[in-house]
Amino acid sequence: MGQHGHGDKGRPFKKFKPSNKFEDSSKRGFDDDDVYGGDDAHDEDDGKVKDFSKLELKPDHLNRPLWACGNGRIFLETFSPLYKQAYDFLIAIAEPVCRPESMHEYNLTPHSLYAAVSVGLETETIISVLNKLSKTKLPKEMISFIHDSTANYGKVKLVLKKNRYFIESPFPEVLKTLLKDEVISRARITSEGTNGDGFTISKAAGEIEGRHDELLNEAEVAAAAEEKETHAFEINPSQVENVKQRCLPNALNYPMLEEYDFRNDTVNPDLDMELKPQAQPRPYQEKSLSKMFGNGRARSGIIVLPCGAGKSLVGVSAASRIKKSCLCLATNAVSVDQWAFQFKLWSTIREENICRFTSDSKERFRGNARVVVTTYNMVAFGGKRSEESEKIIEEIRNREWGLLLMDEVHVVPAHMFRKVISITKSHCKLGLTATLVREDERITDLNFLIGPKLYEANWLDLVKGGFIANVQCAEVWCPMTREFFAEYLKKENSKKRQALYVMNPNKFRACEFLINYHERARGDKIIVFADNLFALTEYAMKLRKPMIYGATSHVERTKILQAFKTSKDVNTVFLSKVGDNSIDIPEANVIIQISSHAGSRRQEAQRLGRILRAKGKLQDRMAGGKEEYNAFFYSLVSTDTQEMYYSTKRQQFLIDQGYSFKVITSLPPPDEGPRLSYHHLDDQLALLSKVLSAGDDAVGLEQLEEDTDEIALRHARRSQGSMSAMSGAKGMVYMEYSTGKGKAPVKSKPKDPSKRHHLFRKRFG
Amino acid sequence: MPEVRIIAKNFMDMVASMPAMKLDKLYENGFICEAILRSLPPLGKKYVLQLLHIDVPVAAKLLEEWVLPDGYTKHRVAIDRLVQLRVFVEAVDRKNDKTYKLNPTFQKSLQKLLVHGGTLPREPMPSNITVRLPTLDDLEAYALQQWECFLLQLISSSLVEKPSNISSSLMKVFQRRLLSQRDKEAPKLTESGFQFLLMETNAQLWYIIREYISNSEERGVDAADLISFMLELSFHVIGEAYNINSLTDFQRSIIRDLADLGLVKLQQGRKESWFIPTKLATNLSVSLADSSSRKEGFVVVETNFRVYAYSTSRLHCEILRLFSKVEYQLPNLIVGAITKESLYNAFENGITAEQIISFLQQNAHPRVADRTPTVPENVTDQIRLWESDLNRVEMTEAYYYDEFPSRDVFEGACDTAREWNGLLWEDSKKMHMVVKTGVHTYVREYLRSQK
Amino acid sequence: MVNAIKGVFISCDIPMAQYIINMNASVPASDKFIIHILDSTHMFVQPQVEQMIRSQIAKFREDNTYVKPN
Repeated sequence: MGQHGHGDKGRPFKKFKPSNKFEDSSKRGFDDDDVYGGDDAHDEDDGKVKDFSKLELKPDHLNRPLWACGNGRIFLETFSPLYKQAYDFLIAIAEPVCRPESMHEYNLTPHSLYAAVSVGLETETIISVLNKLSKTKLPKEMISFIHDSTANYGKVKLVLKKNRYFIESPFPEVLKTLLKDEVISRARITSEGTNGDGFTISKAAGEIEGRHDELLNEAEVAAAAEEKETHAFEINPSQVENVKQRCLPNALNYPMLEEYDFRNDTVNPDLDMELKPQAQPRPYQEKSLSKMFGNGRARSGIIVLPCGAGKSLVGVSAASRIKKSCLCLATNAVSVDQWAFQFKLWSTIREENICRFTSDSKERFRGNARVVVTTYNMVAFGGKRSEESEKIIEEIRNREWGLLLMDEVHVVPAHMFRKVISITKSHCKLGLTATLVREDERITDLNFLIGPKLYEANWLDLVKGGFIANVQCAEVWCPMTREFFAEYLKKENSKKRQALYVMNPNKFRACEFLINYHERARGDKIIVFADNLFALTEYAMKLRKPMIYGATSHVERTKILQAFKTSKDVNTVFLSKVGDNSIDIPEANVIIQISSHAGSRRQEAQRLGRILRAKGKLQDRMAGGKEEYNAFFYSLVSTDTQEMYYSTKRQQFLIDQGYSFKVITSLPPPDEGPRLSYHHLDDQLALLSKVLSAGDDAVGLEQLEEDTDEIALRHARRSQGSMSAMSGAKGMVYMEYSTGKGKAPVKSKPKDPSKRHHLFRKRFG
Repeated sequence: MPEVRIIAKNFMDMVASMPAMKLDKLYENGFICEAILRSLPPLGKKYVLQLLHIDVPVAAKLLEEWVLPDGYTKHRVAIDRLVQLRVFVEAVDRKNDKTYKLNPTFQKSLQKLLVHGGTLPREPMPSNITVRLPTLDDLEAYALQQWECFLLQLISSSLVEKPSNISSSLMKVFQRRLLSQRDKEAPKLTESGFQFLLMETNAQLWYIIREYISNSEERGVDAADLISFMLELSFHVIGEAYNINSLTDFQRSIIRDLADLGLVKLQQGRKESWFIPTKLATNLSVSLADSSSRKEGFVVVETNFRVYAYSTSRLHCEILRLFSKVEYQLPNLIVGAITKESLYNAFENGITAEQIISFLQQNAHPRVADRTPTVPENVTDQIRLWESDLNRVEMTEAYYYDEFPSRDVFEGACDTAREWNGLLWEDSKKMHMVVKTGVHTYVREYLRSQK
Repeated sequence: MVNAIKGVFISCDIPMAQYIINMNASVPASDKFIIHILDSTHMFVQPQVEQMIRSQIAKFREDNTYVKPN
């Protein structure tokens, strides 16, 4: 594709540019958010307009829903009658860039095409359907890009059948190419009943579910459903990892898809579990499962669903279909409890067949098939364990898991996955997440460790369908008081900046006003989030509301949450970062953020997810119903401070999903003044001196000492190196956490051309 | 408020500003009188009709009696307008009371019009001669295209492939306030220029026509004749062909310019040639407030600040560039984003948030035009917020006064400054004040006079 | 005798006033430009500092604004 003209007409497909925000992030303090370092990869913006005006419009272009550009960008009109099918198709072959109400934008990338091929879409189908939906003739560059990207993907599958591993392909030439490699040929097991090449030939089913029938013509539909002849050779189970490695893009470049023929697995014991009849999967949940089980086998990959949209049901459904032992990994102990609860809620699994493994709860298990729920940390931990734990880990290691179910995959760094995946033997891996990090050029470690993206739901569509709440998002601008701002500006107070903009009395008053309003006028349940412990304590104590933070005892937490749930008198609870993961609060409908960690988009989306769980009857939630806007998300920001920067950054993800933040500048209303705290200057000044005299550490972010999982994750992320992490497991250290000194800044992505995706290497040298 | 907007508002204002003699000459033309009549406020129309057949001056008091007490302001407005246009001639009678009488030329022309009907100096040509007449849709598209081409050339001659026949000197006249010419640089849009581009087509048209007419004398063309012809043109029928030969020499000399602006289309048959008035021409006599040439909107603004314009027009692209960052150009779509940077660029060029917002609202694509609000609220809010952010600090060159000998002197100085609208700040306890630099001399004078 | 000084009158909101005051505090004595602080939203400064103040404020504003990369 490099041979086709570039000129000024926009580069053919995005060039990867290591973000130069890295310098910024070290200046601003560590940005936990992006595991792969900084913002998503961006187009080199040379400021020139990308001119695709010469594309020829088809005569009936008004009836077609999308434009496809030579640089991979696709625009989709949502009001088109073909929108639903077009969306399903596009989400399967491209990465969404933004999905607001009228017009979506997507990018076609090697990564996204890999995902497409993985769910059974063939090159020609992709091109033909895209062409059908396109208002113009498909640009040449796009067609050749699709060809090039899919040339090697989806051609080779790793299939586990009756406890034997097979490398399968409809193309014997490809298998022959693979076998030329030493590692692979050594791993091969030759068996009887083979023909000349030594390949066994069989028929594999075509796609049964999850096709795009409405968009294909008869011949195409028939072709997709057709049974295909496949060739295969067997390999030694102990060599599977090595063979997989050899197939990766940096080597032979035939990345293998993993499929688990669970119906024909007679070796591993069955797990008796079914979905309960009352578990009614919603359309988008069904769709995601159909991508996973499309051809009767279980595909490995990632499913992306917004928070509160019911990913646990998807996980439990998948386990119920496979009906083999399932290892379920969560990020922390509370999440483990939740998953166990969800398994019992939605499926018929018996009590004795499900157990949890956390530092507090080590339920032993033996023998037959079961579901084990644990944390990543428990499995990946490399240090010394207790005897009990050691035994359990041995069991986990030795068992063959039908399904490895991984929650919140984008919170966990790659080398941790690598460890977990290398320790455990699983036939199918399903990753679940609400937020997907996008890397245009690099097909990330995640795709090869777990699998490609299988499905991604559209937030706005889910809102329209009443599946998640329709949230009103607002940013409340609180001007700094004169004294607070004066201190904020002083150089010597640079470490106290966060404390100053969080403790801004005007922000306090806005918060107080909102709490009063929602409690009294509406009877809502409110969560107030604050990452800053100093602020959390001051606010909660002054307003006399309960608070939960890291050091709050388990007993106390339960008491508070119980009261919040049931008592008419406890309607507001203040939460520190513990609230992000460790606590389940389903019934709040108002969130107020008074301080939030530097620019973490994932965190913003997660917090929003707290109130996304749709409540009430479906009709009420639709337009015009009484619950139409019954969820509120307020982000309180002190103006003229760094907080504005972080706030806007954090909102990016939600804005790309179609949410908009209304800016409110007039809270609290002036006549409320005297009724709220800190009305008098004296009180404000007293608060100010309190903030200034507190120690630097005390006014910083909360360090959750007990939450070892959190710390381990955080630490692992901080020591994340470059892509060379792919080649070896980094040891992880238990219980150690950074005191803030000597933090390694995230290294910028390597400019080493050999580490670039091969497609681009060829084109750009 | 920049000049551009006020003047362009009313063709009639321009007419009214003509010197008396010229105006009288204009009123020889019945169509002009009719156009003037149409443009009057309702009371004005009534008064004209009432005095139409009265030859003697009528006492002002008498006219007043026709109005109810709460209608007095409207009455005054109507009378003022009539006098301004010299439709009414004001005089004083023997008792020194004010009287009004219709302008005799105007009166005669209007009477003739009412009795005999208006006949245009020309009839449409028979259809067997006029072949290939464009349909009304084609004609409208043509007019729009011509106008856009003209605008593009106005902004920069490099933007057009085929320049029109408008002479460069005439172009310069149009560009006078819209572009600034610096020595070695390419001409750039001025603040008025930017605002001009965001105006509605009719408003833009008025502006250009006004310049055209105002400049006419310098070109050796009689403004009255020009106005006369244009008003006459506005009474022709859209889409009909009129023989070029029916035009006077003078009119023939300007028809070419009018074609370049899109007011008429020129066509040639085998032996004859003709001109066809477009909607732009017939709209000339209509006051701006009435004009509802609802162009179809084409802009969709999304909550994430991205802008999608269903258009292929080069002009639209240039207009969007005024305040947004254009990223993609597709065959029938322009994609861009409203960013802080692009907005600040616009603000620095003198465009206001309100102008941008009304442009977006007025040109909303039909698909979103029914949405309330048509432009997402968070976008309009943010545009306004960014603008106010720019204006947070006001700086004025000033003088600071203190050490006043007495309270009287201090207060006198304050009053002086206040009279000249230059008192920026005062502290009466301390007896200090701040005064605009421009007013400093007056205060100083006052202080000297106190010695 | 009445005293008159030439300079620039600034009218702004409270935070901007603070910012300017802070700016003044961080320059060396010879460069200090605020002549009088009139109240929380007004001050009187040396002539010729307009541009400097404006560009500093612009930079401060930029630092606090996140712009989504393309």
